[in-house]
Amino acid sequence: MGNPSGVRRGLASLTLKHAALIALSFLAVFPLYWMVVTSLKPEAEVFTSSLLPAHWTLDNYVSAWNSIPMGRMLLNSLGVAFAQTATQLFTAILAAYAFTRWEFRGSGLLYGLIGLTWLVPFQVIMIPNYIVISGLGWRDTLLGLIVPNIASAFAVMQLFNTFKSFPKTLIEAAHLDGASDWSVLWRTIFPNLRASIASIGILLFITAWNDYFWPLLVTTKLENSTMQKGLQMFISSEGSMWGTLMAATTLASLPVLVLYLVLQRQIIDSFVKGGLR
Amino acid sequence: MSLHQLAQPQVAPVPDVKQRKARGRRLRGLKPYLYLLPVLLSVGYWIYRPLVQTFRLSFYQWNLLPTSPQTYVGWQNFQNLVTLPEVGKALANTLIYTLGVIPFSLILPIIIAIATDNIGKRSRNIYRALIFLPMIMAPVAVSSVWRWIMHPTNGILNQLLMSVFGLEEPIRYFTDERWAIWSVTFITGWKLIGFSTLIFSAAITGINKEYYEAARIDRASWWQIIRHVTLPLLSPTILFMAMLSTLFASEWSFSYINVLTQGGPLSSTTNVYYLLWTYGFQSFNVGVSSAAAVMVFVGFGIIALGFMKLTKKLSFFDN
Repeated sequence: MGNPSGVRRGLASLTLKHAALIALSFLAVFPLYWMVVTSLKPEAEVFTSSLLPAHWTLDNYVSAWNSIPMGRMLLNSLGVAFAQTATQLFTAILAAYAFTRWEFRGSGLLYGLIGLTWLVPFQVIMIPNYIVISGLGWRDTLLGLIVPNIASAFAVMQLFNTFKSFPKTLIEAAHLDGASDWSVLWRTIFPNLRASIASIGILLFITAWNDYFWPLLVTTKLENSTMQKGLQMFISSEGSMWGTLMAATTLASLPVLVLYLVLQRQIIDSFVKGGLR
Repeated sequence: MSLHQLAQPQVAPVPDVKQRKARGRRLRGLKPYLYLLPVLLSVGYWIYRPLVQTFRLSFYQWNLLPTSPQTYVGWQNFQNLVTLPEVGKALANTLIYTLGVIPFSLILPIIIAIATDNIGKRSRNIYRALIFLPMIMAPVAVSSVWRWIMHPTNGILNQLLMSVFGLEEPIRYFTDERWAIWSVTFITGWKLIGFSTLIFSAAITGINKEYYEAARIDRASWWQIIRHVTLPLLSPTILFMAMLSTLFASEWSFSYINVLTQGGPLSSTTNVYYLLWTYGFQSFNVGVSSAAAVMVFVGFGIIALGFMKLTKKLSFFDN
């Protein structure tokens, strides 16, 4: 590798690689950058293409906050996302435990039935579910948003893989000490797998926060809807107040972006491991 | 609905020792099912029950009002579907979305992943974090941002194209029927490309380096190594991503269609999922919507089965 032309070629190809990656990164990040920058520009500057505001302002946030019930929608979104994440984790932990702890009749079939649900698109089942929620009088309620989502097939399958790797000998040992099945789960397995469970939880939280289809159907009033549904209604009513709109969009993305800023390594890993749903 | 409460039996206080033995064996057999109950009830009630109901509703005529009657019409809804002109349009558009997303879900990610293999670890992590960002963004927020960037007169994209590249007429990305579907496809792909790239990078990193060594000793050229070593070893991943993108491209584009174009202009951006939506919740034609849902479910189900078969066939490549 001592000849200079080889070195030069290596350098050239390395530069090319970085150039390609920088271009891709730019494509990925620029829209978000533009969202934040536009939201911080005063009205007079919004239509200029300057890459930074000449005068920074939070006016757009104030006007977004005042023109739609932003506080309520953020609280709704947080409530729904937390409740969904917690119930989905809880039900999935129980299911994953059952599948990995015992051999029982029909386990393969039941696992298959749970796993196959990813083949059922939301739009195929939305009308019957909508009818049930309407019949219960749960439209425009948080209950109507949360209850249909208390179990996640994705969470079950992810946790199944996590639980499978848990050493059987530790379970046996706890069992010999007289621990019940329930306490084996929560005293022995759960504390040890806390990190993986948390990273699956983060994924579930992001999914719940970003969900749009179900709130779109179930909620009609802004003050009862989640951030995503509210943002869509804002777009269709005040679509050309760009500064305000970008402020609302930034707020609707903020919790997820903050999570990502802190935990991007885990988030990326669990997405790559877990596929899309 | 008290699905939580139904999950409770297993926390009931332990019965005293005498009863324990008698009931013990029976309970032991039931235990796994009790632990599974919450998930099974939820999945059964919120996914399989509605699925069956959709099949049933596809044979009825109904306008979604609880007070109005459901009339049995046999196969008529399906016959209507075949004759409706927008169905053909929606099917053709579904195909466009499916094929249009492939460069973003397969071709570019594979090229980028191969080209950027063995780059320094630290810079790789920085790129990963940046490229992945669109994946975690909410579809509505993504629509909102691109709607601003691609605004015909005030958006920065047209401003740039006009000032730097001498574009004369501003492009109306979402209201020009020649452009709209490609704009929506692009946004769908934009959200996906980072994720796919990372999946392929991870797969390439997992390839045993000895294969490359062996190929290099055989004096294989760079292209021969990619063609005969990398790509075959990547084939399970390629198949997996191809399946995901075929099955879900149209579903992913739904949010962008609903927020940005509502299927227009002149139904140039509608697809099968959006059609279900408009039949169900705009024209309140539950029968036709359910019939279309059945067709979509069966159609994509067959495609999924095909992919699974292929995966099984190819899986021996892995070892």
